[in-house]
Amino acid sequence: MQIVIIGNSAAGLSALEAFRKKDRSSSVTIITKEEERPYSKVLLPYYLRGKVPYKNLFIRDKDYYARLDAKCVKGKVVELLPEQQAVLLENGTRLSYDKLLIATGSSPVKPPIPGLSGKGIYHLWTVADVCNLAPYFKQGKRVVVLGSGFVSVQGAWAAVFKGLNVSVIELMPRVLPRVLDDHAAALLAGRMKKSGVDLRVDTLCQKVERTNDGEFVLHFKDGDSLTSDFIIVGTGVRPNIDFAAGTGIRIDAGIVVDKQMQTTLPGIYAAGDVAQVPSTFGGDPVVHALWPTAVETGSIAGTCMAQGKSCYRGSLNMNVTQMFGITVASMGQFMDVEGSESWIDESLPQDQYLKIVLREGVPIGATCAGGSDLISTLGMLRPMIREKVRLQGEPEMLKAILARNIAQHQRGFVK
Amino acid sequence: MRFITMDVTKCVVCRNCEYACSFQQTGDFRREDSNIRVEYYDDVKICLPQTCMHCDNAWCLEICPAAAITRNETTGAIEIDSERCAGCKMCILACPFGNIHFDKVNLVSRKCNLCEGEPNCVSFCISGALQYTNSQNLYRDNREIFQRFVENLSKEIK
Repeated sequence: MQIVIIGNSAAGLSALEAFRKKDRSSSVTIITKEEERPYSKVLLPYYLRGKVPYKNLFIRDKDYYARLDAKCVKGKVVELLPEQQAVLLENGTRLSYDKLLIATGSSPVKPPIPGLSGKGIYHLWTVADVCNLAPYFKQGKRVVVLGSGFVSVQGAWAAVFKGLNVSVIELMPRVLPRVLDDHAAALLAGRMKKSGVDLRVDTLCQKVERTNDGEFVLHFKDGDSLTSDFIIVGTGVRPNIDFAAGTGIRIDAGIVVDKQMQTTLPGIYAAGDVAQVPSTFGGDPVVHALWPTAVETGSIAGTCMAQGKSCYRGSLNMNVTQMFGITVASMGQFMDVEGSESWIDESLPQDQYLKIVLREGVPIGATCAGGSDLISTLGMLRPMIREKVRLQGEPEMLKAILARNIAQHQRGFVK
Repeated sequence: MRFITMDVTKCVVCRNCEYACSFQQTGDFRREDSNIRVEYYDDVKICLPQTCMHCDNAWCLEICPAAAITRNETTGAIEIDSERCAGCKMCILACPFGNIHFDKVNLVSRKCNLCEGEPNCVSFCISGALQYTNSQNLYRDNREIFQRFVENLSKEIK
């Protein structure tokens, strides 16, 4: 069997590894348009901050492909030819497959702001991006970060850490609008401002001008303006699906797959940021574009491509990061929705926050801001959200309930 | 393969294990430096020591975006390489037992590494609650036990 995997990040790698657990004989080719050595996008802001050295961005050793008996081909897939069971690369190479995995990930979107292109304006998405950005990360430089998603805020923190003057511009009324609720976002925003970040929410950038000195002047809708040495654009991502257009493959917000990661075309699977996958809550499929979801869906795809049995229990969104001296996280449906009730831990000090959202007594999501212990609490809630288990008592008893669950688990090991 | 079992009916919350672990890690006796944690929950009358179960299919290992978590081939321990760890805390969120902690000084995650096969916490446990158990079929047991754990989640708390 000929296996082709497009993409060598989280989904592609875990697919390859899962596939090889079941099938040692089929030939596997991985196509990548970037570095042949797999690296982790999650680490890029940490590299800019100086926490992770360049060599540690790479998350597999150089013998990796050989060990897994896979061939890595550098190239960009420009066309999918499902009837001929082949993909076409930019350089004209044609690769045939019996089974294909699309793990092409996503790419950043640039908002339609006049003047927002050229040298000095970068995303924070690839190794090439951070190589462009690194020379700018010097004390005293001025940076404007457009957008306040996870990557943007981490980029802003790296810049603050390196002694830059940092402005963050967010169109929505709060930071991390898709990851935190109002209160958690307010706690993070407070820390950002305390660290010296010029944070502007509810702010629309309308035009970017480049001066003769090579500086940038950003003009905002409210009439204000801001001068900067460089700009980081982090205003969201979209799945890399252009090469699949016109093939009849079902595309909604991403390439739609079933619980086996099978697309609507035979022999073609999709996983990771490009795929629209079942949600743990049922209902409409989702594009989460998160590392854990990519690892999970890639692994399911790899197993199923090797004729193994595997069935996805649905993506559960989870986000966590520590920046500006505070840890923020969220999981599942952490915003209040119709029919839900939320419980806020009133026993915590002012600068800490934990909210659990329940529906008919079953936890469906949580968000927190504060220290690492709160992250552990979210972690212990995760099996309950996944398995849709009622909280066995009032939320006030949360710690006791979780302790009892763990004690129950540990008893199982004792003779 | 061996791992540490924790008998909640024997633990007396003396915290010897915490100090033994802290001493092993840092040469000092600070509870917050320990990878094993013991709590007493008055409402439910539970003495609960907690340290890593070194799960089969460990989720922390699978999802670590920095490839910093690996299984030690000799001891079977799931270990965090503090040189590679970026401190993103994804493993802390992934652990269903709350057994990964954060090193606030070095900004990295840390957890039990079975002390290279001679866990200090077990040596200093006074009640016999901690045992370093030889379990041939730990992996099968581990999965079954987790299944039972999930089933037990829905029982009302007393």
